[in-house]
This record gives sequence, C-alpha cells and structure tokens, in this order.
Amino acid sequence: MDKILRIDMGAQGGPKITETPVGDYAGLGGRALTSALVAKEVPPLCHPLGADNKLVIAPGLLSGTIAAMSGRISVGCKSPLTGGIKEANAGGQAAQILGRLGYAAIVLEGKPSDNTLYKIAINKDDVSISPDNSLKMLGNYAVVDKMKSEYGDKIACISIGPAGEMKMSAASIACTDMELRPTRHAGRGGVGAVMGSKGVKVIVLDDDGTKMRAPKDPEAFKEANKRWVDGLKKHPVTGEGLAAYGTNVLTNILNEAGGYPTKNFMWGRFDGCSKISGETEAATETERGGLATHGCHRGCVIQCSGIYLNKDGQYLTKQPEYETVWAHGGNCGIDDLDAIAMLDRLDDDYGLDTIEMGATIAVAMEAGVAKFGDAEAAINLVHEVGKGTHLGRILGNGAAVTGKAFGVERVPVVKNQALPAYDPRGVQGIGVTYATSTMGADHTAGYAVATNILKVGGFVDPLMPEGQVDLSRNLQIATAAIDSTGMCLFIAFAVLDQPETFQALIDLLNSFYGLSLTADDVAALGKSVLKSERQFNEKAGFTSAHDRLPAFFKNESLPPHNVKFTVKDEDLDTVFNW
Amino acid sequence: MLLPDYMDRQIHDITTKRGQSTISPPVAIHLTWASRRPSDFLELLQKGFKLKVTVGKTVRRVLCDQLGMSNEYLDGRINTIFLDGKPVDDVDSAVIRDGSTLALSAAMPGFVGAALRKGGYYAPMRKGITHEAEQESGGDAEGFFTLKLYNLVADEIGPLFLNSGIFVEGTDLARFFDDRSPGFWERRRKIEINGAEADQSRLLQGREWAAQSGLVRLTVHQE
Repeated sequence: MDKILRIDMGAQGGPKITETPVGDYAGLGGRALTSALVAKEVPPLCHPLGADNKLVIAPGLLSGTIAAMSGRISVGCKSPLTGGIKEANAGGQAAQILGRLGYAAIVLEGKPSDNTLYKIAINKDDVSISPDNSLKMLGNYAVVDKMKSEYGDKIACISIGPAGEMKMSAASIACTDMELRPTRHAGRGGVGAVMGSKGVKVIVLDDDGTKMRAPKDPEAFKEANKRWVDGLKKHPVTGEGLAAYGTNVLTNILNEAGGYPTKNFMWGRFDGCSKISGETEAATETERGGLATHGCHRGCVIQCSGIYLNKDGQYLTKQPEYETVWAHGGNCGIDDLDAIAMLDRLDDDYGLDTIEMGATIAVAMEAGVAKFGDAEAAINLVHEVGKGTHLGRILGNGAAVTGKAFGVERVPVVKNQALPAYDPRGVQGIGVTYATSTMGADHTAGYAVATNILKVGGFVDPLMPEGQVDLSRNLQIATAAIDSTGMCLFIAFAVLDQPETFQALIDLLNSFYGLSLTADDVAALGKSVLKSERQFNEKAGFTSAHDRLPAFFKNESLPPHNVKFTVKDEDLDTVFNW
Repeated sequence: MLLPDYMDRQIHDITTKRGQSTISPPVAIHLTWASRRPSDFLELLQKGFKLKVTVGKTVRRVLCDQLGMSNEYLDGRINTIFLDGKPVDDVDSAVIRDGSTLALSAAMPGFVGAALRKGGYYAPMRKGITHEAEQESGGDAEGFFTLKLYNLVADEIGPLFLNSGIFVEGTDLARFFDDRSPGFWERRRKIEINGAEADQSRLLQGREWAAQSGLVRLTVHQE
C-alpha cells in the first residue's frame, strides 16, 4: 500500500485522477492515516460540505494480507454532524480489496460545479471515473445490483444511498459484504453526506489479478497469524458468544443491569427485551432458515453477524446489531424484531446511521410526532427521510436538529452525535468516553486491550475517584491504535484478557513490515492519533465545554437504580493529560 | 448436575406455604418435546423462573450446595452475574433473599460487557450500581427467588432445569404459549396436565390452569 489515489472532483474540465506516493503518511493505516491527513490537509473551519473538506478512505495496516480479521476500512473527514474530525469505519470486503490494489487511501477532494453524479471504478490496471446520473436517488441495494451487472460479481462497492445524495448529516457510507450486499456501514457522523457533496455515488473495487500482500518475513507472519487465530478462537466472547448470538447478546445484560436506555433515555429497563434479545434473534433466524453465525469479510473467525429472513423465508437484512436493535427497539419502545429488521434494511438502503436514526426517532416520539412503541410509524418516518420530505430532512439530520425543531429538552447527544446503547448513569466510565471522545458520543472509542498496555502514563488505582478517567484515557489510546491496523474492533475482547493474543497482533505487524514494535509503541501510535484529532477539534472551535454530557444525565435519576452521572467536569478535563 | 430431589422439595414447600387445609399441588404441565433446542423455551429462561431454596445464603451456597452446580462451572463459565439488577463481583458475599432475582450469563463483548464482568478489571467503571458485599443470615428460612439464564449459560444448563422442573407464573406461561409459532408446536410429542394427557388446545384456550393457580410447575423432557 505505497500509493494514495487522489480524485479532485472540482478540477476544471472534470474530475482529475492523481496517484501519489504515500509520502508523509508512510507507516500509517486506517484511522491513523485518515486522521493524519484530515488534520494536515483540511482547514478546521471549512464547511464540511464544501470544496475544502476531504473524504479519506483508508484500509488498515494489515488489510489485504492473510491475517485473520483484517477487513476494517476507515473513512475520515470533517463531520457535518459534529463539526469536528471524524473517523467512521466498516467491515465488509472493501478494505482487503483496496489493500491488495496497493492503495493506502483514496482521497476525494474539491467539489463538482454541477449536480452530476459519478461512479469510480478501480482495478489493478486502471482507475476510471464517469458520470452516471441513472444512479440518482437509488437505494444502496439497487446501486450494487447495477454495478454487479456492469462489472461482475467479484467486486466490492463503497456507496451512498439517497440520504448521502441529499447530504443529510445522518448519512452513512455502505460497504458490501461477502455476499455483495451493502450491509456494512461507516455509519457515524454523516460521512455519507460528504461523499454526496463530492458528487460520488459509488466506488467499485476489483482486485482480479492481484495477490495477497506479502509480508517481509512470511514464516514469522504465518506463525503469528496462527497464534492470533488460536487466541481469538479460545476466548469465550470471540470464540463462542459472538458467533452464537452476535452483538445483540448484550440486550439482556444491559437490561438486567438497568443500563438499557429506554424510550429516549427515560428508563434503564425495557419490558420487551426478551422479545428482541440476541438469543431470541438467533433462534428466529435459525428457525426461518437464515444464519445466526456469519462473517462480514473473508478471513473473519469471530463470525458475529448473521442473515435475517422475513416470515416468508425471504432475505430481509443482515442480522441487526445490538446498537440497531436498541436504537430502533427499546429506545423507541418497540419490541417487534421483524419491524426492527425492516428498519435496519431501510437504514442500509437509504444509507443512514442506525444509531442516529433510532435516537432521532425516539426524540421525535418524545415530541409527539409518533407514539413510543409504534413500529409502523417508525418505519414511515424512515421512509420520510429516504424521500427527502420536509419532515424527512429534519429527521435525516439527526437527533440534535430534530430536538431543536420540535422543542425537546431531552436530546441525548454529545458534540451533536447521538449516544449509543449504554446509559452513562449506570456505567459511568462509558460516560467519560462519550463526553471526551474526539468523535462525539461514541461507544467504540474506548475499547479494552491487554492490561499490560494500560499502564500508559503511569498506573493509577482504578478504585480512586480519578480511576475512571484514567481508564477511559488508556482505553481511548489503545483503541485509536487498534483502529489503525485494519483489524475488526471485536478482536479487542480477546486482547483484553489474553496478553499473548495482544502480542500475536504486535508480531503480525512486526513480521509484515519488518519492525520491532512493542506495546509502548502501539500506545504511542494511539496517543499521536488522539493528539492530532484533539488539535483539529480545538482549531475547529471546540473547547472543554463540548466535552460534557447533556445536563439531564446529571439531573435525572435513572430507574431502576436511581443513579445520576456524577463524574466531575474537572475530572473530565484531565482525560487527555499525558 | 442438579440435585435430583430438589424438585420434590419445591412442590412440598409450595403446597405447605399456601397454607391450604386441603393440600393440593400446583398445576403441573409436563411436555415431551422432539427437539433438544433450548431455544424453544428460551424466553422462559430469559424472563426467569422461580425456585425454592434456603434463603439468606450466598450465591455460591445456593447454586452449588443447594442446586448442585459445580464450583468449576460457577467460577469458570458464569462470568457475568446480576443480583437484583446489580453486577456481582464476589459470589461468596452476594446473598440471595426471598424475592431476589439472580441472572447468569457467560462473558460479554464490548467495553461495557467487560465492565459488567464478575470481578473484572473494569468493574470500577460501574461502581455506582455494583452489588455490595453482605453477610449471610443464620437459620434455615425458605423462600423463592427468580433465576434468569442468558446466552451460552441458558443453552448449557437451561435444559437441566427444564428437565428437573421450573415454576412459572401461570399468566406468564399462558402468554408464552400464545406467542409460539406453528413451528414450535410441530415439535411437541406429548402434553400432560396434572398427569393426564392433553391436547395442545388445553394450553391455548379455556385455560383454567392459568386462572386457578399462581405458580405452575413446568417440566420439559427434550428427546
């Protein structure tokens, strides 16, 4: 991955393609590369939908190799939702194919002078960009079908739906999975709107004729990969639980803990949970002939996804994730799994972030636009977004805009991005991460790694009041590093408990690139990523005032435990002290 | 795994507790089922069923000493435990009382899953809701607690409890049967109510058994 593909969409005479060496971005991948490039090349005060913003699509350091789990692709830009730096990521096939095509990144720059819509096709011999207005306002499924008929079925697609074309701040970017369906999304922060502002509907990737990327030390790489896979398979979460039930296994657990945000974060328990739990979802899928165990990219050994069929046994959508089931389910008072699956399908097709959409609909329900629990109304609201009606344009721009439009006080956002499926009053540590992450409210920003990495900056007793802040800091550092590798984030669960599995990951990097990285080096990478993101946000106008949860988390007690968020502001302000 | 005589004790104690002058056992529904899929009865396991034990004892003493679970299983496989909705870090200082709800799960994904884990490194991140250590109470007082089983734990020990017998509120069980798909019923082999063979319709219509008793004893033998 020694080159960057730059496409200036606003060049005189039409889009201009340039290939450059990686240059300053050598040795970076995934989030490390997207954030470094955005921090360096995007003016922090630019309009996110303007010519000066850039959309950076980058596979990870190990994408395109035989390393298991290496299918994650990062998408970076200035976010139209938060106004700060954004990295959203997705599984699917795109990362591995882009890696094998030799690109460290695709960068979309500039802005077209008219409303022409473009498709980009990349194979090992050629990059082409051509106008194709027949794709206008097609859903992601239809776009992919068209690309299949034009380019065959050995491709991967990166696309936007109507929401991205309409430049809505909840718009996602879809990546196709192994079955060539647009089910894996770089969801958060409106990255789809930025792609829409560049006039690009779809990028078609074809790695026919390429080979797996070759490591510097093939024997050591193969050996490290074996230890890596063994570690993932022996862990109860990555080796069993996720394969059996997917991420939605968390529904019963969060509900039991009283931390399951229900009806727009009013309560911590939802009566209908057992009907929409991961266990029930897996049983339903199996009974209907779908799959409860399925990988989203080749080389996945965790297999946390699945295939959801409707009552008639027809494909409807991929197995909805925990966040989606919560957002469209308990948070909206809906306990109908089929309705939630339909909402997932619509989000995927229109190209919308399921977390933002579910949170937005819940705010709309609190406003009286629909009743909590009314699944049909929720489905209709998503259709409004897809059609771009006046109501749809409000909803499609997220929970904060919707709350403002309808005069709702309880709007669960940080930096305008909706909170995910864990109430911070129950698990206060996640609240620290929500408040302080450079990405806005983000549950994936502070994941866990082996305890030996967590002594970055000195060890602080987690039982002390400041312990949660330090844990959040360490987790954010470690996650930023993992986000750069191209590894699926769920590897973190095994790496948390098994230091030897974390070592296997480091050995994969070292044997591929001929390096001698240590855990400290990995931590240093994470710190540098966060530092560049913080600096961008500061220049974009963010202050400590933005690193806060909405006031209602401090003022309203959450039943059943009747707890409030109690981490002090001055403690939140120390998260990035190192 | 489960102590073979614990169900007899359940019945005796329930009837005694009712204080009825004419002792009559709770309604007993016995199902013989074609499939070994625990998912068929998953919802009951998730929502919880009642058991009668000597209360005021620790989680370990109830599960292992009274119900026959092995210490190895409790310590090694059950990684996430809630007692009355609060995460438990120490099974030797969390005490089950009359009316308690105990939920058991395998290890969970995600940062929050790791934070909720029994004795996990990230436990302080949820200290506001953590179950606090308690002392056992002396004596042999009996009481009911609700047991919920989730994910892999439900798969592994759910069938054992179903085979030995569980107690479920009649109205909840009625609702469970009402919500089943046609596929569920295709797997039935035999239905017995209070020892007499019965038709499927007896579980769905005119359910005098749901009206007349609070708790129903359900056993499921999966072939």
